[in-house]
Amino acid sequence: MSSQLWALAAAGSVVLAAAGLELWRSAAARRHALEAKSGPAVEPYIIYFTGEGCTVCRTHQEPALARLHDVRIDKVDALADRGLADRFHVYTLPTTVVMSSEGRALHVNYGYAPANKLERQLAEARRESDMKETATA
Amino acid sequence: MALTTIDHSALKVNQTGIVATVLVAFIGSYFFRPLLVLIPLLAVVLLLGTFAPQLALFKQLYFKVLKPRGIVKPRPVQDRPEPHNFAQGLGGVFLVVSSLFLLPLPVVGLAIALLVAVLAFINLAFGYCVGCQIYYQLGRAGLIKA
Repeated sequence: MSSQLWALAAAGSVVLAAAGLELWRSAAARRHALEAKSGPAVEPYIIYFTGEGCTVCRTHQEPALARLHDVRIDKVDALADRGLADRFHVYTLPTTVVMSSEGRALHVNYGYAPANKLERQLAEARRESDMKETATA
Repeated sequence: MALTTIDHSALKVNQTGIVATVLVAFIGSYFFRPLLVLIPLLAVVLLLGTFAPQLALFKQLYFKVLKPRGIVKPRPVQDRPEPHNFAQGLGGVFLVVSSLFLLPLPVVGLAIALLVAVLAFINLAFGYCVGCQIYYQLGRAGLIKA
């Protein structure tokens, strides 16, 4: 086999290994982050971790967040507020966390999360919140 | 560090240039081995462009030819140049390492060059800049002032 084919195989293996590692890393971070808590609120809300150097935040994530209606979005500079970023195991930017009204992390998205995905997660958080209210009443 | 207006079309042209050059070197060298010289040349172009933006070949191609003729439309975004420059420099360093391997171990050299092209393509197609993420991680670890 020529050098080119071996190189292609080697590069492909590295890409696959990196993708696998990234999946494992995000799953591990998400598992820890889902145990994290923040302040309670009237309605489910989103914590949006960003940073000055994050281009995807400005070009993709912020337009997606702007499409969401009637939701509180807490924008956090991950480098300035490291305590909060570490609590949610933020290892990449952007990171969005959908919080329940009791202040529990329900969904953690590492990397760009499109508007429809966030809408779906918020709807789920609202449903859960309503069910709890009904149960309490 | 303050935000400034960055034309993201220039970055896209740069990424396209990287992918195209590596692919020409990779495929072309199968038929004509001297084309491998494109890889060290690309390393020089990337490193020069990192430290002296006026010498960034692909970006200059955009600013001097593609943009004035309306071939590529500008896309100004409020952004910071440092992560992009860091990513470009990192690409250049990887291509230097690739170049060092090209003669004694061509498989390793070509594989590293291909990885640089894959990362440039991911940035071009999906807007995910791995070098910028490394920049963020280094800033988070306090190794650089991000």
